Amino acid sequence: MIRLYHVTKRYGEVDALHDVSVHVEKGAFVYVTGPSGAGKSTMLKMLYGAVRPTEGKLLVGGVDVSAIPRRNMYKLRRNIGVVFQDFKLIARRNVAENVGLALEVLGTPREEIRRRVNAVLGVVGLKGRGHEYPPTLSGGEQQRVAVARAIINDPSILLADEPTGNLDGAMAIEVMEILQAINLRGTTVMVATHDAALMQRFPYRVLRFRGGRLVRA
Amino acid sequence: MSGGVLMHILRRASRSLWENLYLNAVATGVIAAALLLVGVTLTVQQNLSALVDSWDRDVHISAYFHHDVPEARRFDKRDQVAQDPRVVGVRYISEADAQDWLLERTARLEGVLEELGPAALPASLEITLAAEAGTPGEVARFATDLEDPDLEFIDFGQEWVEHFNAFLSLLELLAAVLGSLIFLAAVFLVINTVNLVVFNRRDELEVQKLVGATNATITAPFLLEGLAQGLVGGGLALVGLWTVHRLVVVRLQIALGLHMAGDLAALSALSLLGLVMAGAVLGLLAAWLAVARFLSRAP
Repeated sequence: MIRLYHVTKRYGEVDALHDVSVHVEKGAFVYVTGPSGAGKSTMLKMLYGAVRPTEGKLLVGGVDVSAIPRRNMYKLRRNIGVVFQDFKLIARRNVAENVGLALEVLGTPREEIRRRVNAVLGVVGLKGRGHEYPPTLSGGEQQRVAVARAIINDPSILLADEPTGNLDGAMAIEVMEILQAINLRGTTVMVATHDAALMQRFPYRVLRFRGGRLVRA
Repeated sequence: MSGGVLMHILRRASRSLWENLYLNAVATGVIAAALLLVGVTLTVQQNLSALVDSWDRDVHISAYFHHDVPEARRFDKRDQVAQDPRVVGVRYISEADAQDWLLERTARLEGVLEELGPAALPASLEITLAAEAGTPGEVARFATDLEDPDLEFIDFGQEWVEHFNAFLSLLELLAAVLGSLIFLAAVFLVINTVNLVVFNRRDELEVQKLVGATNATITAPFLLEGLAQGLVGGGLALVGLWTVHRLVVVRLQIALGLHMAGDLAALSALSLLGLVMAGAVLGLLAAWLAVARFLSRAP
């Protein structure tokens, strides 16, 4: 599903990623871990096309991401769900509107959006909360809204960048259980985290980075 | 683009207009103010041109005969001048007519004129030129063509016409420069105001990009907003122009008794339509530049 061949990302003189080669199978659950500045976020950003490799080749679902022109990047992103540490929810839109945004920009009919939003809010345990606004929700609930938005159009890959970084233990576990459930439905899940306890509780394959180099795959 | 996407764009645009009411009102106001200034400049320029045209049309040339030229030759000369396509009117004024004309206006000169005799004022031809022959160059050329041994002196106010036309050309240039500067300032101000709207919504736009919105889907609502701002701004500018014309110019004209070129005219319907269209273009351009700038930086 995801293949990196000798990928390097350089910012000036500094290599955020250096000569990384890795293969992630379809339907896998993978952690990307390492200390701050190790290259975890850069790796994920490359996968959804926010950052381009300086050298090497990056294939997502068989498509060379570095060859996609910027204006056509939307095609890749419609097949990838992304969850962020800071949730990136729109405060002035209610939960249903936040979640339905990914379908709205595709021109999906409103009735269909409503139906799928309700269904996906059920998956993340927020059924009936669509009318509420993000600032009134807890951190865990906001992250569940972000996960719902990321999976509403059934992406084949779900990327989560420190999804539990702003949550306490119980809420972090809730979110991880949801990600696990999504993975069990066949979605490839890649989670960037430095939470060792969480990785112990939900043991999956680990890609460990240090100083931009992949030290364990 | 599907119907669903079109509906999404329309909903986004109308919602954003409402949610960013203050910023949109500011952008609309800036467009209206800029177009009003441009409109006033155009109106002034148009009225100045009309004034010049009317004065050009009234270009008269006086050609004075030597006293010893027989009247028959004078009439021949009059008829010859009348044949010239540049001439719209020619009138022969005899010595007696000239004296009567002067006495009508200054009766106290009667004694002086009697002493000087009937030849005190020369006979002349008063020639009116066609509007297209009223430019300083054309008038001078006509005066040269008119030269004849029977004519003692040809008066066409050359120096005054040249100075006046130079002055008007300068005024027109100033109006054009001023209008262009105002328009550029308006573009700059509107772009910055729309930038604020985009900045205010950057979180939403970033998320839209991340969930797979195309650049067109993101840009289109802003273009619609810009179009609406431009059209409303243009409409407000027309109201402003009408108000300025009715409440200021006409009253001023009446108060000062300014009727040099008839009533000061408002802009034509076509010019007013052009002004509204300029507003629409301004709104669209500003919105497009602001969003393009955001999209070039977005991940």
